[in-house]
Amino acid sequence: MAEVHVIGQIMGATGFSESSLFCKWGVHTGAAWKLLSGIREGQTQVDTPQVGDMAYWSHPIDLHFATKGLQGWPRLHLQVWSQDSFGRCQLAGYGFCYVPSSPGTHQLACPTWRPLGSWREQLARAFVGGGPQLLHGDTIYSGADRYRLHTAAGGTVHLEIGLLLRHFDRYGVEC
Amino acid sequence: MAAGGPSVFLLMVNGQVESAQFPEFDNLYCKYCFVYGQDWAPTAGLEEGISQITSKSRDACQALVWNFPIDITFKSTNPFGWPQIVLSVYGPDVFGNDVVRGYGAVHVPFSPGRHKRTIPMFVPESTSKLQKFTSWFMGRRPEYTDPKVVAQGEGREDQPS
Repeated sequence: MAEVHVIGQIMGATGFSESSLFCKWGVHTGAAWKLLSGIREGQTQVDTPQVGDMAYWSHPIDLHFATKGLQGWPRLHLQVWSQDSFGRCQLAGYGFCYVPSSPGTHQLACPTWRPLGSWREQLARAFVGGGPQLLHGDTIYSGADRYRLHTAAGGTVHLEIGLLLRHFDRYGVEC
Repeated sequence: MAAGGPSVFLLMVNGQVESAQFPEFDNLYCKYCFVYGQDWAPTAGLEEGISQITSKSRDACQALVWNFPIDITFKSTNPFGWPQIVLSVYGPDVFGNDVVRGYGAVHVPFSPGRHKRTIPMFVPESTSKLQKFTSWFMGRRPEYTDPKVVAQGEGREDQPS
């Protein structure tokens, strides 16, 4: 079986209007992939920037996959939330990006979006907070029912992901 | 490429903790340590170190320079658990107590060659205002009992920073 090591960090986020942010992340793969070691999903700490506007998480990611096929290449999906001083959480953006497929270190900037509701819900979100969220998390990384959504842009999540590939040449894949 | 069987590889890391930018603090020292998975073991060099105390330079960039050497070699059979270097920076507060000014961690680079990494530092924050005041007053900030937790992903959701 060919093996893929995804080793890196979710560095932080910029461009969000809210300041105390945390990120829930997960990695989705196809059926032919098996996770040998590492944790497939997690949540970062809440970070409040003191200097500048980038919220830094430096959240480590270390995953070891084994696979028999290229279909279902891993995708990293992210949900950025903000937390206010009362402890309430509000959605700031959803985003996803594919794990790179060439070995080495890559800097990724993942743009995010959030669902907009009706004008009433937007007004309520400005005053009271809250706002619509996705019912099924897989819409973040699949294109299936996206045409139903009306969304607005959120900020950008910055990641540094390193990739190590092993035994791909046995299966005729050049990398 | 050799087929079958686990093969051992060595990773040699040498470099320095060059400098830091901390706009609000001065007279800082840093400690580094390495966090790695179960398949890794250091074979040569030092796993931890404490630097000197340094003051800010007088020019516009206000850099805190340590130029502190790092030299370690690891032996492993598996890239999982690739080593991370964890840095903790400490300095005196208004009352003279030694408090933590930042924690940060980064993976050792994968590819051979010369690399420069700039690491953002964060400090754990108490969630209650009263605790923030008493910690400022008593000089006892929230601090990690083991700085190595900074290199792990689990359990971070309960720590504001």
